[in-house]
Amino acid sequence: MNILVCIKQVPDDSVEVSMGKDGKPEIDGITPVVNAFDTYALEMATRLKESLNDGSEITALCVGPESAKNSLKNCLAVGADHAYLVNDESIDDIDSIGIAEVLKNAVEKLAEEKGKFDLIFTGKEATDAALGQTGIYLAAKLGTAVITNIIDVKVEDGSIEAKHETEEGYRVIEAAMPAVLTVTKPEYDPRYPTIKNKMAARRKQIDEMNISELSALDEITAKIKKAAEYEPPKRSAGIKIKEESDEESALKAIQMMVEAKVL
Amino acid sequence: MAYIISDEAQDLLNDLKKFCDQEVVEQAKEFDKSGEFPKEIYDKAIEQGYTTLEVPEEYGGPGLSRVDVAALIEQMAWADAGFATTISASGLGTKPVLIAGNDDQKKHVCDLLLGGGFGAFALTEPGAGSDPGSGTTTAVKDGDSYVLNGRKCFITNGGVASFYCVTALTDKEAGAKGMSIFLVDRDTPGLSVGHEEDKMGIRLSNTTDVVLEDVRVPAENLLGKEGEGFKIAMKTLDQARAWMGVVSTGLAQRAMDEAIAYTKERKQFGKPVLKFQAMQFKIADMAIKIEASRQMNAYALNLMDMGKPHSREAAIAKCFASDAAMWCTTEAVQMFGGYGYSREYPVEKLMRDAKIFQIFEGTNEVQRIVTANNTIGRF
Repeated sequence: MNILVCIKQVPDDSVEVSMGKDGKPEIDGITPVVNAFDTYALEMATRLKESLNDGSEITALCVGPESAKNSLKNCLAVGADHAYLVNDESIDDIDSIGIAEVLKNAVEKLAEEKGKFDLIFTGKEATDAALGQTGIYLAAKLGTAVITNIIDVKVEDGSIEAKHETEEGYRVIEAAMPAVLTVTKPEYDPRYPTIKNKMAARRKQIDEMNISELSALDEITAKIKKAAEYEPPKRSAGIKIKEESDEESALKAIQMMVEAKVL
Repeated sequence: MAYIISDEAQDLLNDLKKFCDQEVVEQAKEFDKSGEFPKEIYDKAIEQGYTTLEVPEEYGGPGLSRVDVAALIEQMAWADAGFATTISASGLGTKPVLIAGNDDQKKHVCDLLLGGGFGAFALTEPGAGSDPGSGTTTAVKDGDSYVLNGRKCFITNGGVASFYCVTALTDKEAGAKGMSIFLVDRDTPGLSVGHEEDKMGIRLSNTTDVVLEDVRVPAENLLGKEGEGFKIAMKTLDQARAWMGVVSTGLAQRAMDEAIAYTKERKQFGKPVLKFQAMQFKIADMAIKIEASRQMNAYALNLMDMGKPHSREAAIAKCFASDAAMWCTTEAVQMFGGYGYSREYPVEKLMRDAKIFQIFEGTNEVQRIVTANNTIGRF
């Protein structure tokens, strides 16, 4: 099986971001990492590859700056067999639909070389902008099925069965391949790269594709303009209730809500 | 002023930090209470390859410089000094083989490490601590074998090692010059694990007696030649000491980081206590000691990489860094005030962990003797 995993490099989301004087988030000093949801996508793809054990291969693809090569090397250390970067440093502003256009063209170009992809995995959203659109746009542009927010996938008789997470639980959805899958947090964590795999990955080549050869620049330049960015309001610490017993804590909570005229 | 390391090591350090944050830091608290050996943490570390950092490249190791490895060990020590001690003591147990062993012996121990095993160095005996030459464990040649008898104590990794480098007298009359070192596999009949120490600190590491009762090892398990044991043991300690400096530095860094974080939040007299110069000066003194320790460690390790003499520098680094760790952890407790003395806060553990670094792998009194001898020379 031929699997593609699309990844985005984002500022480490475990670091608290503050707003700069220019009204933009200060992210320059923050270590770039692979978007967490994309790491789940790669882990799910890798587990699928390992369970199939039929010579399936995973290609990681990223549209991003030169420094994203490091993120792609991290992908090579935890399951990806090949990695490609589409360098987007020549473009000032690109939005989700533009990224999806570049990805579609890159997917078609890679297919000429590697054969068609059966499955395309990506995170349900990126932890920086949290728009959650790229995977869906990509499927629309490729004309394939898309299953969003999946937590598990199985391949049977040439079709797939995925668990799509909902607020209440999950739905099992079947689709024909090729398909795009957007992945949310599964029950497991992504594996850590072993020293051996990491050092082998560092020696591997990251192939580059030229963005201007893939897409006309005016077509992919952002159509949406950001008017302003705001810091979310700080949440207050809340009230902790810790009485002797659980029953007393519950009674205290009810009493406080009555006093506050919530009940 | 962190260690100046390769891009490769920096990349590994980022991964290790994430691993330690998720798999060691929080988990260590419970194991510190129970004193149980956290096999599940070590199994994960083994899977990542973190227990094989010192395996030479030609035997399947990562081929990093010693300063690169130091940055990684320091990060482990930051997470938990016992965790770093287990891994570093495995390196200690391997050093006699790497210093004096032949190719087969080196391959044997490196394969054991790569397979997930630990090493242990069995030198100390109940009556032979700072004076290792006074040990009474014996090795008697019998045909193509040696038969070892004796009791070793305070052996780090004693209960969990796959192999031991054991010192024993092959010539009882010759004292230290009659000492030899043998490579002994864990499953050798007659070798058993004795009393396990219930330690004050570094409780994620395992420390036990190792008992040798008619332990028969093939003659080819002798490292180097008969009578070279004391020399090999001293060379081993010369190298290992700098690593204890590295672990001490990680511990001191953790104490400083915890102290800064706490005193930024803790308010008295209407402002964070870190706004007071009394607190700031403590942090400055911690930073000075930590940075000095790190540079001393790096210098000793660089000398080792270059194959140059390093006894004095390693002794200085170990002594200074462990004294610094004791000082920084004690001051961190002070900066936390009453909360520092409580087990609900992280710094009392750091203080308990720090003490042993002034004692093991040569007490700091011994380090001062080594430093003085190597500074003054014969007169």
